[in-house]
Amino acid sequence: MSGEPWIWISAILTLAIFSFLYKENPFYRFGEHLFVGVANGYSITFMWHRILVPALINPVSHGQKLWLIGVAFIGALYFTRFIPRISWLVRIPIALVMGYSSGAYIPRGIDAGIIEQTRATVVTRASFINWQQGIWAILILLGVVATVSYFFFSRERKGILKPLSYIGIVFIMLGFGASFGYSVMARISLFIGRIQFLLRDWLGIIH
Amino acid sequence: MKFFEKLMKIDRRIIYLILALVVIIPFLRPFLIHPRAMPPVENLYNHIDSIPQDKALVISVDYTPDTEPELQPMTIALLRHAFARRVKVGVLCLGVLGLGLAENALTQVANEFNRRATTQADSIIYGRDYVFWGWQTPALTVILGMGERISKVFSVDYYGNKTETLPMMQKIKNYNNVGIIVSVSASATPLWYITYAQTSFGVKVGIASTAVQAADMYPYLNSGQATGLLSGMKGGAEYEELVQTRLGITGRRRATEAMAAQTSAHFTIIAFIIIGNIGFFVLRRRKK
Amino acid sequence: MKRRIPLAIVFIFGVLGAIPFLVPHRIIQDADNEFRNSVLRIIVAFSLVLGVGSIIRHHYEKIRRKRENWQYSYVTLISLVITAIIGLFGGIEANGILPTRFLVPFTKYTFHFDIQTLYTNIMVPLGATMFSLLAFFMTSAAYRAFRARNIEATILLFSAFVVMLAAVPLVSRVFPKLSFFSEWILTVPNTAAKRGLGFGIALGSMATSLKIILGIERGWLGGTQ
Repeated sequence: MSGEPWIWISAILTLAIFSFLYKENPFYRFGEHLFVGVANGYSITFMWHRILVPALINPVSHGQKLWLIGVAFIGALYFTRFIPRISWLVRIPIALVMGYSSGAYIPRGIDAGIIEQTRATVVTRASFINWQQGIWAILILLGVVATVSYFFFSRERKGILKPLSYIGIVFIMLGFGASFGYSVMARISLFIGRIQFLLRDWLGIIH
Repeated sequence: MKFFEKLMKIDRRIIYLILALVVIIPFLRPFLIHPRAMPPVENLYNHIDSIPQDKALVISVDYTPDTEPELQPMTIALLRHAFARRVKVGVLCLGVLGLGLAENALTQVANEFNRRATTQADSIIYGRDYVFWGWQTPALTVILGMGERISKVFSVDYYGNKTETLPMMQKIKNYNNVGIIVSVSASATPLWYITYAQTSFGVKVGIASTAVQAADMYPYLNSGQATGLLSGMKGGAEYEELVQTRLGITGRRRATEAMAAQTSAHFTIIAFIIIGNIGFFVLRRRKK
Repeated sequence: MKRRIPLAIVFIFGVLGAIPFLVPHRIIQDADNEFRNSVLRIIVAFSLVLGVGSIIRHHYEKIRRKRENWQYSYVTLISLVITAIIGLFGGIEANGILPTRFLVPFTKYTFHFDIQTLYTNIMVPLGATMFSLLAFFMTSAAYRAFRARNIEATILLFSAFVVMLAAVPLVSRVFPKLSFFSEWILTVPNTAAKRGLGFGIALGSMATSLKIILGIERGWLGGTQ
């Protein structure tokens, strides 16, 4: 069993959260609120030491890049959210960030999300490295077309669209089944990690 | 029939207890199962293995304490691989809550190597062999800015050193000096690297993600936009296996240790689903 | 004016965001880098400060109005303040003006309470354990709700079983073909389905981004002013 006080604190906090499985209780609530508080205190620390100080405070205090004061003023407009009379000013920094992010995303999103993915879907001679790869490439093309046709709701499901949509459902079910199978692994892994900590680091039962 | 009715209405805490027991018991009678690496894991391993000496491996630690058990073993295995091959490593975080985990992983692996080192050349020295750039915001600034100049994005590193003064940073200036970026992530962050860094600068991207996200990353693996993929704890265990068997690097293998418990838990959940379905069909037939 | 100015800003910066991808000229690239490194970084940092301020305000109001479980808000606020003080004055590397370690009297043990120690021993166990509860909820939900009611659900179950079984090394050692079949499910039908979904998501994201830049999407403006 560990003699390190912090290991004991970690173990007690772990068990406090696990107690929720029996019933909601004050220990769980305490742990929940403690996490929020510590996480925000941690964020404040790095925000100050690694962003505001090197990017704003240091340059301005050394007389360099004084125009950053104007930038800080724009950033400070976020706090007008709490002053109802001038709360509309919060839209300015939001507009700046959201506009730039949206503009930066569009051309790159088209390239990565559509052009490259379409290029990988289209079957060409290069897809037939061997006959197996060729068949899988054709299947993927069929699956993509079928999946997209399943979500095409602007036309009635008649003619070719009906069987194609059904093939789409089959592909989607296989995909979601795979996702579920992996999700099970993910969730169990998280629990296993805590058990490893409790049995090894705290109780010393396993080595 | 009453048996099945009772079975369907079983208290959920009994289910919780059974799950807890099937996970705990394999640890009390441990046995190691050595996983076989699947192609996406091998691809990532081989690519990192072939990074030239003048290029760096960049690891983007984009997860939080929530997913630490699944992803931390991957980060540790990647670091062991890079340090064993003497590949320079740059580590950054796109989220502030990943910083502590990245620090823990770097400290642990550097200490492992330095305990075994006999000379300065063998040792893993901060600034020469690896740099922890830390966190900056927003992610867009970081990902695009690193294509221009890493030291402009991270003017100071996690420890407060001026990045430009570090020896490694004299050679590792931007993505042209990066062999691959591996995004260890519980969210869609790897796709940000593909969308922003790869389209603008052509840098290779590897993905190490939680199993929840992994299935969604396969289209990018198929298109070649992702060079390799580690999926969840299994992917971590496979990578640990490759690092140990091919490079002889030993160290605690958390993901591999967990495989026995993972096995019993998966069988249990499958059994639960089958029992649930049997009960469902029996009761449905009875109602008819 | 209260809506026109922000809409004009979003359009201007939307165009400025897209131009550097299309124009590789040095001047454009340098200006774009400077904008991101200096302007965007500071403005986003303030939004993070706002986030923390909102949490403080929320919990303060909860205490003031004595809403349900208001007592726990003291836990959040006190732990936030203490952690922030330790981090801001103790320093990231425990080298600040506030000492964050002390020798326990009559022992040789040094007790640390720097920011990294708080992170490793409070945040990691709490965060990891909270998420690990999902394993139990998922198991219970799978037992109660995962039914092969029709062919589609059966296909989903079949795919899930194959992937779950292949995810354990013991099974993939004993039945190697199962792990290759699982990898095939992930590489072919899963890829096709997720790619189809991905096209929809990418087109939707692009449409939304374009609508924001052009001022068609105005939900972000909020309010009636």
